[in-house]
Amino acid sequence: MNPETISLSLRAGILTFSLLIPNLTAAQNSASAQAPQQKPAPQPAAQQQTPPSQPEPPNAPSPAPQQPSLSDLGFTPQQVQADPKLQAELNKRTEMLKIHQRLGLITLAPMAATLITGPMAKAKGKNGQTITEPSNANLDFHAALGGATTALYFTTASYAIFAPKIPNNPKHGAIRFHEALAFVHGPGMILTPILGYDAYKQENAGEKVHGIASFHGPVAVATVCAYGASIVAVSWPIHVKFWEKQ
Amino acid sequence: MNAKLLLALFLVPLSGFAQSDSQWIADQSTISYHMSHPMHEVDGTSHAAKGKGVCHAGWCDFLIAVQVKTFDSGDTNRDLHMIEATRGAQYPMIVVRAHFAQAEIASQWIHADLEVQFAGQTAHYTQVPFERTQRGSEVRITGTIPLTCSDFKIERPSFLTVPIKNEIPVRVDMTWRQQ
Repeated sequence: MNPETISLSLRAGILTFSLLIPNLTAAQNSASAQAPQQKPAPQPAAQQQTPPSQPEPPNAPSPAPQQPSLSDLGFTPQQVQADPKLQAELNKRTEMLKIHQRLGLITLAPMAATLITGPMAKAKGKNGQTITEPSNANLDFHAALGGATTALYFTTASYAIFAPKIPNNPKHGAIRFHEALAFVHGPGMILTPILGYDAYKQENAGEKVHGIASFHGPVAVATVCAYGASIVAVSWPIHVKFWEKQ
Repeated sequence: MNAKLLLALFLVPLSGFAQSDSQWIADQSTISYHMSHPMHEVDGTSHAAKGKGVCHAGWCDFLIAVQVKTFDSGDTNRDLHMIEATRGAQYPMIVVRAHFAQAEIASQWIHADLEVQFAGQTAHYTQVPFERTQRGSEVRITGTIPLTCSDFKIERPSFLTVPIKNEIPVRVDMTWRQQ
């Protein structure tokens, strides 16, 4: 090999490497920036705060020529626009419905106690025989429980009634049964104390409960049944798996 | 002559490494989250996800986005609570960016690095496996993203004072076609 050929080969080699090296460097940078970490199982790698969604202009440039952007997908600016007012309403709604749920469960206790103490209003007489007229003490206790139940019930209801309504949101699912049953136990909770008051007056007047007041018991039972069904409806479908760890 | 041969020897193999660019569009999508509670097992599903993918220079970048409010769990009240808990009105989009080697685009399993933007937070998941099934000119991709409430600082909703499980795996079932 003559010196001229060697010189030509060296120049060609230098030219080739000068062309290749910048590309290799760029490729290495690209790979280090984009290469996936080799881990055996999917893991959350990091978290960071994302600013509230803002619509991208329809003709906004993509972050990189090869990467698709949100505007490529055809979402309208309204669809990706943050709505802090709606978020605030949803927060308030959830807060009120949480109270509704808690108070509703608390109400169940005096309601059940009232139902139990109703038939127990009967008492024993001085000579041991059962008297059909309840004692004043039992009646008062039953009436007090009924009063507490009524107060709690309507407080509970108010948190659902006055919770913000979300527009364009047709209801479906178990919540419809829950709300439909309110049209049974709601009137029941109005009627039961009224009938109970009538019955109480008749008892105190030494009369046997008669007329419309005699429906106090059956209306109360129907009301409690509808109330219980309403709780079950909003919990449906129930899969009891308490043995599983949280 | 020898120099030209040397140059050719260097350059010819390099051209062989280059893979053809391709673009992909999502045709159909079913995205479902699963929520577990001792009294409930709930799946919320959306068919409204949109997606686009670009393969270039040996790597594929796919973007999938879906509105939070399009998920339907079968109960309006629960869905509204989900939107509230996930700050879905403030951050209405769930955006997933997938990045994987272009060499995997034709294999049965794709292992993608994911960046998920959800509820105002961004979390990264590495090497999430997705199964690829060719159906004529379409490609079906299925897999599960192991999301958790804590990854996105979501306060876990509770029922009867018992919170839901932290894990809310998201099942992805999408059909893609090449543009």
